[in-house]
Amino acid sequence: MKRNAIFAVAIGFALLLTLASSAIAGEDNETVNKYSLWIGGHYTDFSDYTKKVGEYDLGNSEGLPEFAGKLFSRSSNSIFKLYGHYYDDQNIYGVANATVSDKFKAAFMYRSLVHRSGQDMLANLNAREFYPNAPPPGLGGKTLTHEILDPGADYDVHRQEILSKMEVLLSERNNVRMMAAHRSILKDGTTQKMSNDHCYGCHTTSRTGKVETRQHQLETGIDADVKDFNVGYRFGYRHFQSNGPDAYGYWSEAKHPGSNDPKWAPEFGSRVLFDDTTLAFGVLPETEKMSHKVRLKGDVGKGNLAGSFVYSRAENKSTTLTTDAYAGAARYAVPLSPKMRLLAKMSMRRVTADDPFIDLPTFRAGAADGNEKDFDYIRYSTLDRSEFKASAELITRVNPRWTLALLGGYEMTNRDDYVAYDDGTKTKKMIGQAKLRFRKGLRYSSYLKYRFESISDPFVSARGLFESSGYGVLVPAVSGSSWIFYWQREALRYQDITSMPTQVHNFEWRSTWQPSKTYSLNLGVKGKLDKNGDLDSLDVEHTSLVPHAYLNLMPNMKWTVTTGYTYNYDKSRIPIAIALFDG
Amino acid sequence: MYTMVDYESKVHNVYFSASFLPTEKLKLYGTVAYNKAEAAMAEIVMPDPTAQLTNLNYTSGHDLNESDFTFEEMHTYSDLAYKYLNFEFGGSYKLAETVTFTLDGGYADLTDDAPYVYGDETGSMLMVRSGIMVTF
Repeated sequence: MKRNAIFAVAIGFALLLTLASSAIAGEDNETVNKYSLWIGGHYTDFSDYTKKVGEYDLGNSEGLPEFAGKLFSRSSNSIFKLYGHYYDDQNIYGVANATVSDKFKAAFMYRSLVHRSGQDMLANLNAREFYPNAPPPGLGGKTLTHEILDPGADYDVHRQEILSKMEVLLSERNNVRMMAAHRSILKDGTTQKMSNDHCYGCHTTSRTGKVETRQHQLETGIDADVKDFNVGYRFGYRHFQSNGPDAYGYWSEAKHPGSNDPKWAPEFGSRVLFDDTTLAFGVLPETEKMSHKVRLKGDVGKGNLAGSFVYSRAENKSTTLTTDAYAGAARYAVPLSPKMRLLAKMSMRRVTADDPFIDLPTFRAGAADGNEKDFDYIRYSTLDRSEFKASAELITRVNPRWTLALLGGYEMTNRDDYVAYDDGTKTKKMIGQAKLRFRKGLRYSSYLKYRFESISDPFVSARGLFESSGYGVLVPAVSGSSWIFYWQREALRYQDITSMPTQVHNFEWRSTWQPSKTYSLNLGVKGKLDKNGDLDSLDVEHTSLVPHAYLNLMPNMKWTVTTGYTYNYDKSRIPIAIALFDG
Repeated sequence: MYTMVDYESKVHNVYFSASFLPTEKLKLYGTVAYNKAEAAMAEIVMPDPTAQLTNLNYTSGHDLNESDFTFEEMHTYSDLAYKYLNFEFGGSYKLAETVTFTLDGGYADLTDDAPYVYGDETGSMLMVRSGIMVTF
């Protein structure tokens, strides 16, 4: 595959060089050609832990050759630019652009980088139930343990991106243009993969997984002027596939979580989906997406109208599950007076996804007491929804120095099947925003913005946080037994939780003062406060504050100085829950 | 049982950059950047669990009343504290009309004051680069 990538890069550059040569061949007196070539080398030296400070470097203490080249060519009707930089065999960048009058444009880009990541040592995954009176003293049966199967492993991923784009004028009549674009992202390397075994105790194992993913995107389309409108069509295609070998993990034999007595293996083995087996995990699916988009823009009345409609279908090829989306958007900008204009936007989207039937092994299949349970179900997708957004912004030039913009908006998300099937929640958002700009010549400018959002019924993880005590509430499901099964505890769950707010306050101020051409000062601050007061006693709240100050100085033609300071403060008020668990 | 806790992160970034042209042939530039990042959770003070424990103590031998529910150290597990200092420097000297000598490099030093799941990430990196540029 690496050879394919190199071949594709070579073809792309060769194509553009050919086009450039054609353009340069027609050179005349106005032709300008500039070339530069830099040849050198670099030496890197690392100490202690290298993967954080050298996250995007090979991480070796070594000297390597390095090259860079630049080409610029301009004639009366064409421009060609080429730049390339080789740092090492995994850090390479190249870009080429060609423009021939208004009839042809092409661009090609290749970027290669390496990303090294550290190894999560899972040291925070270590716990055991504590019973003061249990044998051995103090230790209960429920455990959480971890195991690193590849201690000290080096994980790195080589990411290559190839991008090309071309636009051709097919006919000057009606300005008919065709475009085609392509983008590929190739990743090769290794990563840390973890599996969780819950057949006996909770046991997390970590091992090296191979990365070999391929993503290809294509887009092609045509645009034309039809009467007073410019109309266009785009076809899009995206394909993702992982060619790397699967990682395998072992799921241990099911036993009683407290006594570890093997005589209970059949009982507990019949309660889990699989045990005492080796399975592939973390498998990436092959996915494909196709889209069709039509768009239109032109003058309507005194204003300008732009609109689009998109249909897309995404498919998980590994499971044949599909998602369909229909989306439409419109934007209308119109001057209401010489000092005032209106900007109105509206969009709608409908998404539906397949609802697969989940066929599970029968719970306690073959149990001697005859109490089996069938947990088969249809997984109704939480993606199924309708969305609507609308906003109107009035922009007024109060006087030559002051500009005021006021915006009102409404957004709605109507989920079909979440929280419950055919009984979804509807999230509504009201938006109010004011922006004020001030400009005094080129010496001083300032910008102030405040935005408020009020949201009803934001997305929540329903009944997802707490579980009430089952003592005296749950009754044994098996006649003549005292057993309470884990699945019965579903009835004890309560408390919706979310990080989504019901109120959001956003503000921003920035100001630039440039008393002369030799220096300028920029000051500003951004802030955000959001909170959700609809979660009973859980008053979830987030605060962020980002002030900054930048100073640019150019005291004379020899010196340029820039300096700055940014402070980023974030605070989240969140619930911390501890399980009190007694079998 | 649960309680509400504040999680705070504070990040300071400061930089200074300058370029200087002492002669027509010589160009010099340099940047110093310093970043300090901290994140920590406030101390976790759980409510009195007596009422919940009364309901849980029904299993023989499993007396949760002797367990410790104070969680005095829990809030420190996820502390993060990094300091990052980065120097970059460079210059070029025009040897002839079409030939320029370049020298540049950088030094980065990261200090991890609160190692977490990846261990102590303290480390440093030095890079020095030099070459000749020819223009046509």
